[in-house]
Amino acid sequence: MLDAIQFSTWAEFINMGGYGFNVWSVYALFAILVAVNLILPWRKKQKIVRQLKRRMTLEAEVQSEDSSNGD
Amino acid sequence: MWVWFSKLGSPKWFYELSGKWLPWLIAAMVIFMTIGLVWGLVFLPPDYQQGFTSRILIVHVAVAGTSLAFFPLMLVAGTVTLVWRMKLADMVAKHAAILGAWFSFITLATGSLWGSVMWGTWWEWTDSRLVSMLFQLFLLLGVISLRSALEDSETAAKACALLSIVGCINVVIIKYSVEWWNTLHQVASPVSLDPTSPNGPQFWIATLIMIVAVYLFLSVSLILSTRNEILERERRSQWVQDLVLKN
Repeated sequence: MLDAIQFSTWAEFINMGGYGFNVWSVYALFAILVAVNLILPWRKKQKIVRQLKRRMTLEAEVQSEDSSNGD
Repeated sequence: MWVWFSKLGSPKWFYELSGKWLPWLIAAMVIFMTIGLVWGLVFLPPDYQQGFTSRILIVHVAVAGTSLAFFPLMLVAGTVTLVWRMKLADMVAKHAAILGAWFSFITLATGSLWGSVMWGTWWEWTDSRLVSMLFQLFLLLGVISLRSALEDSETAAKACALLSIVGCINVVIIKYSVEWWNTLHQVASPVSLDPTSPNGPQFWIATLIMIVAVYLFLSVSLILSTRNEILERERRSQWVQDLVLKN
């Protein structure tokens, strides 16, 4: 069922029987679809966590200042 | 029952559960995608008529078939949002529209890249399959812009649910377009068990593996986006703050 490797040289592999541009473009588009829609949400999460952390330390500082001024 | 249902809609509960599932989903996605892509690019034999452009089809069919899942998903999510006031479903619907637009665009682009050599044309306005898929892309772009215009209001949820009904009707049209109007786009190939057949197992098993890989990718991407949305909306709550501190 699984056929043998269809190419013997790299040039043949790139050429894809004359349809190299179309075949490789399709696989490149698919790679973009997958990469963008996994990397963007992942990077967004890093950003959200970073911002939340910064805000929390800021709030903690403000609170400690308030309590020391209040005495 | 009601306790269970309100738990299901709780963002915190979803965040914790999806966190447990994600590593497994990602691992399965990587395995299926690697097998599918290597099979498609290295082992798949040339078709007797299409040559190596048949390798385009295993990707195109997987993405195109999966792109039909978005509007039904959005309709279910929209109904749950409106009937049971479940915010979580609304978050899923929002990100499904964005991912669905990506899928529709890639479907059209990969189809064009195949058609340009096999049909001799990049685009054909008289073909029902092509035009109804383009309509799906525009509908999804409409949903996205509607949401950004109306913010997270209930009006937005209602309008998007309504558009999802139109989208679902269009999904049926896309699915049967090749049978109802026979123009350019071919019907689905019959599946054959004979390895010497042009539609033999080497093609449809490779396609099937790609379909599973694409569905896994869709789930992972949608879960990641929904989790981000949860963190942003719940940033004032204690559990998110505890989570950030642990990170």
